[in-house]
Amino acid sequence: MADGTIKIDGRTVPFDKGDTVIKAAYKAGIDIPHYCWHPGLSAPANCRMCLVDVEPPPGRPKMQLDVLQWDAAKNDYVTSKKTKLIPACQQSCADGMSVLSDSSDEVSQARKAVQELLLLNHPVDCPICDQAGECDLQDYWLEHDRSKKRMMDEPVHKPKAEVFGETIVYDAERCIMCTRCIRVSKEVAKDPVLDMRQRGNRNEIVVAPGRELDHNYSLMTEHVCPVGALTSNHFRFKARVWFLRSARSVCQGCATGCNAYLDFDPRDNKPYRYRPRDNESVNGYWMCDVGMLSYPEAHEGRLENALVGGEDSELAEALDQAAEKLRGLDAEPGRVAIVLSAQHSCEDNVALAHLAATKFGAKDLYVARRADGEADGILMVADRNPNAAGVELVASRLGFASPKPMRALVEALADGRYDYVISLGAEVDCDATAVKEKLMRLKGFVAIASHEGPLPQAAHIALPAASWAEAAGTYVNAKGMAQQADKVLVPIGDAHAGWQLVAALAKKLGVEVHWKKRADLEALLFPAPAPVFSAPDAAEPAASMEVQP
Amino acid sequence: MEPLDIELDETELELPTDPMQVNMGPAHPAMHGTIRMVVELSGETIKKVDVQIGYLHRGFEKMCERGTWTQVFPYVDRLNYASPLLNNVAFALAVEKMLGVTVPERCQHYRVVLGELARICDHLVCSGAMAMELGAFTPFLWFTKAREFIWDVFEEETGARVTHSFGRVGGMAKPPSPNFKQMVRTAVPAALALIEDGEKLLLANRIFLDRIENVGVMSKDLALALGWTGVVLRSTGVPYDVRKVHPYLTYDRYEFDVPVGSRGDNYDRFMCRQEEIRQSARIIEQALEQMADEGPINLDDPRIVLPPKDEVYSTIEGTIQHFKIVMEGIKVPAGECYSYTEAGNGELGFYIVSDGSGTPYRIRIRPPCFATMQGVETMIVGGMIPDVVPTFGSVNMIGGECDH
Repeated sequence: MADGTIKIDGRTVPFDKGDTVIKAAYKAGIDIPHYCWHPGLSAPANCRMCLVDVEPPPGRPKMQLDVLQWDAAKNDYVTSKKTKLIPACQQSCADGMSVLSDSSDEVSQARKAVQELLLLNHPVDCPICDQAGECDLQDYWLEHDRSKKRMMDEPVHKPKAEVFGETIVYDAERCIMCTRCIRVSKEVAKDPVLDMRQRGNRNEIVVAPGRELDHNYSLMTEHVCPVGALTSNHFRFKARVWFLRSARSVCQGCATGCNAYLDFDPRDNKPYRYRPRDNESVNGYWMCDVGMLSYPEAHEGRLENALVGGEDSELAEALDQAAEKLRGLDAEPGRVAIVLSAQHSCEDNVALAHLAATKFGAKDLYVARRADGEADGILMVADRNPNAAGVELVASRLGFASPKPMRALVEALADGRYDYVISLGAEVDCDATAVKEKLMRLKGFVAIASHEGPLPQAAHIALPAASWAEAAGTYVNAKGMAQQADKVLVPIGDAHAGWQLVAALAKKLGVEVHWKKRADLEALLFPAPAPVFSAPDAAEPAASMEVQP
Repeated sequence: MEPLDIELDETELELPTDPMQVNMGPAHPAMHGTIRMVVELSGETIKKVDVQIGYLHRGFEKMCERGTWTQVFPYVDRLNYASPLLNNVAFALAVEKMLGVTVPERCQHYRVVLGELARICDHLVCSGAMAMELGAFTPFLWFTKAREFIWDVFEEETGARVTHSFGRVGGMAKPPSPNFKQMVRTAVPAALALIEDGEKLLLANRIFLDRIENVGVMSKDLALALGWTGVVLRSTGVPYDVRKVHPYLTYDRYEFDVPVGSRGDNYDRFMCRQEEIRQSARIIEQALEQMADEGPINLDDPRIVLPPKDEVYSTIEGTIQHFKIVMEGIKVPAGECYSYTEAGNGELGFYIVSDGSGTPYRIRIRPPCFATMQGVETMIVGGMIPDVVPTFGSVNMIGGECDH
């Protein structure tokens, strides 16, 4: 419930206690132009782009300044008055307050002047600048300035292409000193490694002496940079943004499941970068470097073709062979172990688990997962799997006990409890050699995996699954929120969605499954009411919902 | 194609013959390479005809939805390729209508002069080709020579002889060249003299007249009912000319007459065209008179018009302006409109829809000869097969704009 309302250009806007004018406007979808303000950072009010006219309370005079103005008719300066404008990022909302933004000529003039000032020493870089096409300087010039250059002096020159660290390159000439990067380092990464030196048109951003910009959120400095001053080494000169398309994805780096946009070029079907997708309840506005740089995994290290005995094979041939290998299953149904994957989507997992429960009579579930790493105490958690909670959810929905770790499978195999294993996923969190050795000796071991790893290597038959970017899927993060990643890319090689491979395998085994499409699997996972994710083309994300296993 | 009608009453025929089906076109020279007529003949008399268009369909409207608004201009050049400048201006006017802007007066006169020159060319091609198809080759060559004088002006102004792509939203690609007026004042009289000579060859020629008088007759009512516009409509006696009825640009400031016919036959269409050439020359004279020698051609709005090149290369403001217009396109406010002008062969309309982005959401063309083609069947059924040639020639069907 809002704590009151203000008026912006006559439009009523609700606000919560503590909101500034710009924040209230941002939440209401009203754009007050700004460079230095960011919803996830403190407000230094140094860019002056968000100046607005706050009308005085009833009965109080308007705050005004005495100024000298040029009068062309008199050919002299005359004294005049001008409204005192207030930065919208610093002005707290008060109930009934009236603010003039776009409707005030004085505000328009101020914005124009700020914009002209910011471009005063800006280099003519658009054609070689990665930010071109998504640059606030470009957008605001056309929107609020539109005047030609008046200053004919040589602009001030400053360092270009300064290396800040492994990920970031800095161009001081393009910088408008909004200090967002400084604040991201200080407030988000808790590592105040950046600061500003000099003043006026000579100031520039610098890294602390003896340091590099090397914290785990260095790419966020580039992400918040409203201009092309900070560029990411990984994206620099790789693509022009107007050729890229964005799709909603979920980072696969750890169990936080940060919401992201995966930007890709539809012409070559390649991913080019991640961008954080704002979601207050998961990742706020941020993503860590490890996650940001994990986009190439959509294509790198992939299992592109089916493997039969380690050799490349046609998918149809591999499916026939897999059915052949698993033929003995009918005779001894209890002797199969099912390995789910914390790296695959809920859809893939539920498909395999459902087939195992209803057709194979499997009793035991195991889970393959990537080994844990370090948590950074900000966004990254120790569990490096995007869907560990999803696997638990799948098991409980289908009436299994909680899946056991791979170590337990190695022991069980040593005891000779199983003859057959069907697995999802590639990586294991225990001694890979031991796992491989045990699995290879089985009567039948079929692995479905999107990437290369110990499991597909050891498998008699390995089937190539689509990566998270190639098939729509649901992932449950550590907080127990189910989130959907959209299909972004066309699957490479022979890859198909994991659950489709499960269905194809079932068919070869002579088993009819009732799920034909993704919605059928989701119905297994989330009994009515089905979760409502916003439509893939919806502008606003926030596609998470809590699930109760 | 319709099945053969073989139930002819044979008692009516002196010599019993079977009806014969013949394809004229699309590769027939008199079909201008773009239409096909399946005619059913009894002797040489046409009993039935199926006029088939679509042989020059290129998906023009769909192509427009890919690029920016400005990138549509090369496509409209190739609609009525006999008078590309008229199409350029027509499309520019449509987008300007959506934007709610009007180009400076000097540009309006400039557009009128270029447009009327293009109209003269359009009529010359139509009349010349029609005569040539009837065997009169000399007038065709003379008309082409006359057109050549005008094309020299176009080449000087736009850099191209045929597909100029010279129109821009908010103005023209370039201002008039320094001796534009002088060139036009030289070229037009020279062209008119040749046209006069060519006409003399035709209008004193019994063969030519016999083949166009009372051939391909169209009634006023049917012409209106079919949505005919332009010369073909005026030849039936309806004085509808967009330039007079709904003046655009500066057409309300010139004195000119709208020639109309009385019978709606090939002769009337030919004569209307020839008279319109003279009226165009009148308009050009007045427009040149009224057109200022100095002053802006393009709008002064950085959201619509590109900055001068030297600014693009030397200032960040110019670079940004250039970048926004080239890469993202002119942001045309969301909405839709129909804008129409008098083109070479009738009312050329653009119905455009914008979603507010820099790319057209939908563009639909109303090509004048699309409507005209509906009447061709009426005009030729009952006539002789040789009459198809002058009749089809006189409707000035242009495949580029008809097929859409």
